[in-house]
Amino acid sequence: MELIVGIPRALLFYKYKDLWLQFFANLNIKTVISPKTNKEIIDKGSSYVVDEACLSLKIFMGHVDHLQNKCDYLFIPRVACLNKNEKMCTNFLVLYDLVKNTFEDCKILMYNVDVENNEYEFDGFLKIGKTLGFSYFKTLRAYQNAKKYEKEKRRQKYLLETRKLRSPHLKILVVAHSYNLYDDFVGKPILEYLESQRIAAICSDITTGDEKVNTSISHSIYWTYNKELMKIIEDTLNHIDGIILISTFPCGPDSLCNELIIRKIKSKPILYLTCDNNASDTGIITRLESFIDILKYKKERSTNDQQYN
Amino acid sequence: MTNNIISFPHLGNYSIPIYYFLSHVTKNPIKIAPPITKKTLELGSKYSPDFVCLPFKYNLGNFIESLEEGASILLQAGGGCRYGYYGEVQCQILKDLGYDFKFVSFLDDAKLNPKTIYKALKSINPKLSKIRYLYYLTTTMFMINCLDKIENYIRLNIGFEVKSQSFKNLEKRMLSDFKKSKGVISILKKYRKYKKLFKSLPINKPKNCLKIGVIGELYTSMEQFSSYFIEENLAKYNIEIKRYTNLTYLLIKKQFNLKKLLKKARNYVTYELGADGLDNVARTIDLIEKNYDGIVHIKPFGCTPEIGAIPIINKICKQNKMPIIYFSFDSQTSDEGIKTRLEALADMLKERRKK
Amino acid sequence: MQKCYLGIDIGSISTKGVIINQNNDILYSDYIWTEGNPIDAVKRLLKSLEKNFDKEKYQIVGVGTTGSARKLIGTILNASIIKNEITAHAIGTISKYPDIKTILEIGGQDSKIILVEDKIVTDYAMNTLCAAGTGSFLSSQAKRLNIDVKDFGNIALTSTNPTKIAARCTVFAESDLVHKAQMGYKKEDIIAGLCKSVALNYLNNVGKGKKIKSPIIFQGGVSKNIGVKKAFESLLKKEVIVDENGHLMGALGVAILAQNEKEINFDFNITNLNFTTIGVECDKCPNHCEIITIRKDNKLIDAWGNRCERGAIKN
Repeated sequence: MELIVGIPRALLFYKYKDLWLQFFANLNIKTVISPKTNKEIIDKGSSYVVDEACLSLKIFMGHVDHLQNKCDYLFIPRVACLNKNEKMCTNFLVLYDLVKNTFEDCKILMYNVDVENNEYEFDGFLKIGKTLGFSYFKTLRAYQNAKKYEKEKRRQKYLLETRKLRSPHLKILVVAHSYNLYDDFVGKPILEYLESQRIAAICSDITTGDEKVNTSISHSIYWTYNKELMKIIEDTLNHIDGIILISTFPCGPDSLCNELIIRKIKSKPILYLTCDNNASDTGIITRLESFIDILKYKKERSTNDQQYN
Repeated sequence: MTNNIISFPHLGNYSIPIYYFLSHVTKNPIKIAPPITKKTLELGSKYSPDFVCLPFKYNLGNFIESLEEGASILLQAGGGCRYGYYGEVQCQILKDLGYDFKFVSFLDDAKLNPKTIYKALKSINPKLSKIRYLYYLTTTMFMINCLDKIENYIRLNIGFEVKSQSFKNLEKRMLSDFKKSKGVISILKKYRKYKKLFKSLPINKPKNCLKIGVIGELYTSMEQFSSYFIEENLAKYNIEIKRYTNLTYLLIKKQFNLKKLLKKARNYVTYELGADGLDNVARTIDLIEKNYDGIVHIKPFGCTPEIGAIPIINKICKQNKMPIIYFSFDSQTSDEGIKTRLEALADMLKERRKK
Repeated sequence: MQKCYLGIDIGSISTKGVIINQNNDILYSDYIWTEGNPIDAVKRLLKSLEKNFDKEKYQIVGVGTTGSARKLIGTILNASIIKNEITAHAIGTISKYPDIKTILEIGGQDSKIILVEDKIVTDYAMNTLCAAGTGSFLSSQAKRLNIDVKDFGNIALTSTNPTKIAARCTVFAESDLVHKAQMGYKKEDIIAGLCKSVALNYLNNVGKGKKIKSPIIFQGGVSKNIGVKKAFESLLKKEVIVDENGHLMGALGVAILAQNEKEINFDFNITNLNFTTIGVECDKCPNHCEIITIRKDNKLIDAWGNRCERGAIKN
């Protein structure tokens, strides 16, 4: 009988889908991915965690719920630490144990990355290989191959996004964790709306590799992903017209980091949107509309000024 | 530089050992922030980000009140969760408000240890010698440990005091006495004196009284104002209270505890859960094993590590029929609401005992 | 002369009173609106109870108070017992439904769930944050839609396609509601949607992680709304009981509790006395505790509200 691994389309999936899917493909393992986020998935997911948990975690639990009877193994990554002296939001630390205790009958594929405790990415894949009965070398080859694939994909993505920086249209940097940015309930509608308005929306997930980055926006920031986001703001700031920050309620790291970004970045207008499973689309569209109007007005005025000079 | 007044945010009674420590390792005058009041929280909330957790608001309120009273060097620590990032954001907010001050963080690369504290203190007092620093760090830890031991005794017995306020009044006297400590001998003497005094306070405690364990997030556990004095209010119903979280635990024991915790929680948890999540799962199991009557779990609204651990804690309690209630504190929590819930808890536990 | 007991439940919206005999049978009962003045409400309530009360036959020997103004009214009436509403509701309900396992309650400002096993409360929870999804929330939305809140339930039943309304937070809900109304959704669908979201919200917040076992009873002011009752039944896929005397359970419970206390001699005359409560702001520290002082014919009888000794008011 063929083995099926279920992968929730939520949280780190968006960041690592190329690596993960390619790895499983290299080992000839069939994977099933949960469907795009919908209201039902959110409602289901909300029933498993505390009401005040962040929307992204609720969405994740909803996806796991969807997969629970559709696969032999659930792929639940636990990514606790990616670089020494850096941290992840504690939600990523609890995922494995949270799922294990909530869906007791499911088998979970162990995948643990915790660099602070000397568990590197490859160690995580090695554990998967072991569980599924593959030799060290076979796993290593599958990993190296997948890593190469991921690198190429990231390079393409980087080119795609940076090309937008040269667009003649209004350029807005959309800053959000990738799991919020591309989620069909959170960031996707915003990106689609911006596109429909002929705006170059530059997505914030354009890291080229796994290297540690540094940012001048904050000196003590230790969340890997928020640090990357700050770095991108810093790098693109001179080429964009405005910034949209998207966060899910009540995200811990974002609550502080976005506050700092708003207080430090004064040269470009910033719109801060918070998504909640209750918020209605219309409220968000209204605010997007007026934000775009402000940017357009600003841009026109500055081109006029340039003509005068 | 040595005329600048140093201040720091409150953390329950620990402002006393922190005051003692700073007054011996710096030459500056030290100011304990004005006592926390509703005004502190209002001030802090007013300038805090939208959905930041409650301790940030209290800390910020403390800073503003200290600055208003002349402080110009502010200290902040942290670690575990968002707490480690409070400092930079608070510093920025205060600067934007127009205050002039020096901000010193005990953290370096999100870590808090004797080295990082020494580095921070050197920036205030460049002449501080390692020996002097280590000596007072040790005596301060000793004082914290002494206070924690006495506080444990208070929690076990305050619900049964014969004369109302007798424990509270003695505690106040003890704290102001400890504030004037000199070296390790004077701390030890004071500890012995107050231990004796507390033991001599008359209590009327039945052998098998109701026992409740308080678990949860560290700030709301240690800063009683932020939990609306939940321990005192619970104790009033003749209940013995146990709480695990204190500075002795967080600063010393926790460093060596991971294996023990994972072993205790092995049927439920495989990995560390972040901040005190795993600790609280293990404590839940411990309280069940020790036949406690109930558990009270407290945290600030939106506290991420605890939110992740709660479904697991809840499952354990349900499997073992252990009553547990949760409190999520926010700047708009109502006093009356908490009292109603606590009274109902006490009633429920008494009824269960009768069976 | 038969002994009987008075129980009063003073909530934010309505004030309920019962008089029971030693067998827990309700002899007299009544309920009126609190209208923001609990003392006045209790006086009116007592006057109305007194009208039918047979003074030749019965003598009230115990008084209990519960509800959000329990302490104030308990002090004034010199009550034999003052109890929180969770315990009172549970005891009242269990006395009428000895097999009950789950009590759902949505009142004016609070909502709660109580789990019972073998006539003993084993678990409970109350709403944590704001008043969204409670009675006051529903009546303010009714006002917004220009509908009498009493008709809410029946209108909701006529809907076949309830609109989705976000009701976790009052602010969110209001903007969502206004928006949906602007878009031309049918009134009955919006109302049915509100009822459903109140029930869903309740189960996701107060009822989270609680095993809801039958028999289930639904109480509190909102239980009169058949739309919400039906929403609970369809969400839980279980039958939900609503007792016509459901609103009296708290008063009944505290009257039962009064039976175990020392007997007192209650006199209806109390309605003629003049009580005043004055909130005094303590200025001894920046806490500015609001201290509530109660005066009977201008004599201070009690005061509370101070967080520390400094604010204690003495005679």
